[in-house]
Amino acid sequence: MIKRLLLLVVVLAMVATACGGDGAEEESTTTTAADGGSQVAAEGILKTVQDRGVLNCGVNQEVFGFGFVDADGNFVGFDIDYCKAVAAAVLGDADAVEYKALTAQQRFTALQSGEIDVLIRNTTWTATRDGGEGATFLTTTFYDGQGMMVNSDSGYTTLEDMANTTVCVQSGTTTELNLAARFESGGIPFTALTFDSNDELRPAFVAGQCDGWTSDKSQLAAFRSQNPPADGGPEAWTILDETFSKEPLGPLVRDGDSQWAQVVDWVVYATIQAEEFGLDSGNINSYSGDNAEIKRFLGQPNEEGTIFDPGLGLPTDFAVMVIDAVGNYEEIYNRNVGPDTALGLARGVNDLWTRGGLLYAPPYR
Amino acid sequence: MTVARETKTGTARPPFWRDVKVLRIVAQLVAGAGSVALLWYLGSNLTTNLTAQGISTDFGFLDQPAGVTVPGSDFRSSQPISDILVLGIKNTFALVIVGIPLLTILGTLIGIGRLSSNWLVRKAATAYVETLRNIPPLLVIIFTNTAVILASLPRIQEAWQPFDLFVLSNRELAVPWFTAGDGSGAYLGVLAAGVVASIAVWIWRTRQFDATGTPHHRFFWGTGVFLLFAVVGFFVIGNPYSLSRPELEGLVITGGISNISAYFAVLLALVIYTASHVAEIVRGSIQAVAKGQTEAANALALSSFQRLRFVVLPQAFRIAIPPLINQFLNFTKNSSLAIAIGYSEITLVVFQAIGNGQPAPQLIIILMGAYLLFSLSISLLINILNRRLQLVTN
Amino acid sequence: MAVRTETASLRRPSPALRWVRENLFNNWYNSVLTVIFGALFIWVGFSLLRWVFFRAEWEIVRVNLTLFMVGRFPRDELARIWVSNYMIVGAIGLMAGAATASAAAAAKEAGLPFVQSKLQDLIQRFWPVLLLVAALLQFSRTWTPTIMTVGMVVIGVAARFAGLHLPRVIRRYAWVLVALLLIGAYGALVWFGGFGWDDWGGLHLTLFVTVAGIILAFPLGLLFALGRRSTLPLVRLLSVTYIEFIRGVPLITLLLMGAFALKFLLPPGMDLSLVSRLVVAIMLFTAAYVAENVRGGLQAVPKGQTEAGQALGLPAWKVMRLIVLPQALRAVIPAMVGQFISLFKDTSLLVVVGVFELLAVSSIANNQPEFLGKGLAEVTLPFVAVIYWVGAYTMSRESRRLEKKLGVGER
Repeated sequence: MIKRLLLLVVVLAMVATACGGDGAEEESTTTTAADGGSQVAAEGILKTVQDRGVLNCGVNQEVFGFGFVDADGNFVGFDIDYCKAVAAAVLGDADAVEYKALTAQQRFTALQSGEIDVLIRNTTWTATRDGGEGATFLTTTFYDGQGMMVNSDSGYTTLEDMANTTVCVQSGTTTELNLAARFESGGIPFTALTFDSNDELRPAFVAGQCDGWTSDKSQLAAFRSQNPPADGGPEAWTILDETFSKEPLGPLVRDGDSQWAQVVDWVVYATIQAEEFGLDSGNINSYSGDNAEIKRFLGQPNEEGTIFDPGLGLPTDFAVMVIDAVGNYEEIYNRNVGPDTALGLARGVNDLWTRGGLLYAPPYR
Repeated sequence: MTVARETKTGTARPPFWRDVKVLRIVAQLVAGAGSVALLWYLGSNLTTNLTAQGISTDFGFLDQPAGVTVPGSDFRSSQPISDILVLGIKNTFALVIVGIPLLTILGTLIGIGRLSSNWLVRKAATAYVETLRNIPPLLVIIFTNTAVILASLPRIQEAWQPFDLFVLSNRELAVPWFTAGDGSGAYLGVLAAGVVASIAVWIWRTRQFDATGTPHHRFFWGTGVFLLFAVVGFFVIGNPYSLSRPELEGLVITGGISNISAYFAVLLALVIYTASHVAEIVRGSIQAVAKGQTEAANALALSSFQRLRFVVLPQAFRIAIPPLINQFLNFTKNSSLAIAIGYSEITLVVFQAIGNGQPAPQLIIILMGAYLLFSLSISLLINILNRRLQLVTN
Repeated sequence: MAVRTETASLRRPSPALRWVRENLFNNWYNSVLTVIFGALFIWVGFSLLRWVFFRAEWEIVRVNLTLFMVGRFPRDELARIWVSNYMIVGAIGLMAGAATASAAAAAKEAGLPFVQSKLQDLIQRFWPVLLLVAALLQFSRTWTPTIMTVGMVVIGVAARFAGLHLPRVIRRYAWVLVALLLIGAYGALVWFGGFGWDDWGGLHLTLFVTVAGIILAFPLGLLFALGRRSTLPLVRLLSVTYIEFIRGVPLITLLLMGAFALKFLLPPGMDLSLVSRLVVAIMLFTAAYVAENVRGGLQAVPKGQTEAGQALGLPAWKVMRLIVLPQALRAVIPAMVGQFISLFKDTSLLVVVGVFELLAVSSIANNQPEFLGKGLAEVTLPFVAVIYWVGAYTMSRESRRLEKKLGVGER
């Protein structure tokens, strides 16, 4: 009996050490969580992150192109690169990121409770979420839209054709809400079949359990391009032209810490601005031109030898570190979702404003 | 304390810290106060945290529009969350009410199969039990959905319609059902009268049997009387109910009674999973029936069916009932796994609502309450049955 | 389907033929059943073998094997896991050796013959595990795991030998060594710049959560079991309420609570990581079932035992601790193994709340660029199912063996 009790004590002690080990890094986070709303100036998230030396980034682990895990256990994707960019700017080390994979249902609570510093998990910016979830949406990194994929031989060309059909959708997303809104406002009777993950959804669509598969168009494109010949190949499926919702995807931070919000915002702007300047990971370290704007952007001294500091709380050369680590927007885009990847997405609206896209960074001065 | 001592002057009582009566009261007070304090502490943390993060602490969100639709129902996305929760509970109930009889039957068959005199049947039953029992039910549900529903059934455009009575597809399955016509109310009255009459006949036959010893055949008498009422009433009132056959028009099934295939996938998966546990209970209970009972039945020259039906099974079931209740409860609780393949029972509905930004603590309380309701009512029903069964033997 | 009957055969054919006749074709309906089930067996066996060896594309498992086993545990720190495994195997070997030695000594004292278990028995008992390990090693792309596994076997055997031949005085304290080894096994993962629960994953995390859940639940369950048997009405009421409440709700509701609501119940400023919160939820859940198991064990202890203790003038808590509990807990061991199995299977639910366990890995693997959209869940999910099956099946057989050995069912 005493033996058993002793064993128990030992085990409990073990668990206590484990909790203690975890707690050490979390304590600091939660202090900010508790008073983040009221007394930001005292100790902001930026300071916390810098003291901790690690950025806690909330991500997805199963959306190809945006956030997924490779066979070696590394997170990879468009969103992941932005986690790295923030870490590079704030900590000077793109690898100082602790990724927290979150389900659609968990992401907002994780952000509110301070479990993560920033959420970059293909999350759509909506008014309710901005207002009600205790979160602030920042600059959109990817403009997506919801689409509908159908079997090519079904003959559907518009959503109006799809009366009385069944549509497969992933649960816990805005997609689900948009679907109901679009079909009901169009007076189209339909049934929505919800699934917890695409692994269960895909076979249902292949077997014809549903007539349509609705999701962000980028996702649909990925699944379409990867459809194996056994199931008819990419040609067997068609993505309808209509985009029936706006899906601006971008990073989120907790409400009430504007300094931290600015930091993340300007990291995103830096990647866009770099593309506009024609700077990429290959040439940014060797820039020796005398464009005053670029020199300001890179934190290089001007003729008088002074270095421009906008007071964001970031190092003056943060842009160099960001671009050096992950590249400019174009590089991030092409590496993860661009034409040469399985997603094969053209830039479309996700192009610089100078080329008719929506990406526009405020002046860095 | 001193008062107590004065009143009982004769017997010297131990000091209060060793007085069992006092200690008992103190221990209970400590336990009770400790529990209350713990609950109060957690509750106050909850409200503090929720308020600090701007999450509502009341149930006002129940009136908000749900924003989603529910397959297999005509639920509109503008209906409030409270409605969708009720619908979720109904859908769970639809699983439980159909699943429990099915799993009992299947489990009993397999349990008997494990004791079969045929070596191959015995091995097959063992393989069934040992395979299913040791796989997580979540996986059983996913496999059933993929292998049985998606792979075996045709898409709705090519649905099977055997005898024009059923519509079978991997989207929806439909069977014929009754639709009420004129005079259906009156007919229900006739049926009720039929039930009363057949019970009366049952009692009469039983008394007759007790008094004279003539074979009672009460089952045949009872059903006969009921059928008589049913058939005569049907023609006298004139087609109070008609059979409605499901028909496929385009992608829509009209008539009959239908449900989405996810329902059948979950139902089938949980029935075959739970039946593997029930089979073991049935086998154990049959083996627990004293061997002398079987030998006595053999001595009476009962056939092997009669031996099972009248001697072994009735006794075995009495032993099996408590563990069976547990399996029924497990079935009910496992129905929450339907979340994996999108059957909108109560857990999925709550999960959806949490995902759409509704407050989690309140929703989880409602969810737990719903399951407690199910569990308690099943325990209650079966306890009543159990008591009856035991009274009969005494 | 009839219960086995004896049929006397008139002639005396060869034993094999007689067996076939008695067990497969003893009457007409059994003959029919034999044909049907025989065809079924052949068809299932054939399809299964064809699928495993020809149809299934195992590449996805091969590539992601490490992910399935240990999740995202940093690849250059995998040595920690091997060291940890060595310590666990050493502890098990030592324990088994010491237990065998004690049993042999006890048998010798009682003048009974002692039968040592042979290698053959071990193969018979653990064939599913051996097969699974062989399959996993076959999937591996390097030799390291094979070498390491051989190392584990060597260490296990050595530790058992050591346990077997420990001097008797030391053997009594072998459990200290075992406990130290188990702590070391945990420490190897966590201490010296190691990684906490949240970085674990795959099968490793599944096993850990199961073990942690049941160990943490035990004291709480014991408490509630004693509470339910207490003569104090209020204590009994509280225990019954807790036990019946938890047993009335599915595990998934507690996991949802752990994932979404538990952090709101903690004092402001205190936070636990996701896995820790879920382990707490699992502990609260399992405790109710443990309590019922222990209560069963307590009820199985004859009342005379308590009365005998009281007659000796022992105080109530000593009667409980020295007389009732040791007997009750011994009787509870098989039921606890059953609880362990069911918890092991239930850990699959953690995927719903975003834990990096086996089913999550299956889903992740199917979203990697080389496997996306190929419908390979039909390979990964059966793979996961086999892992669960091997674990649960082996443990359930061991539990039955234990039950027989302890003679629990034969009271």
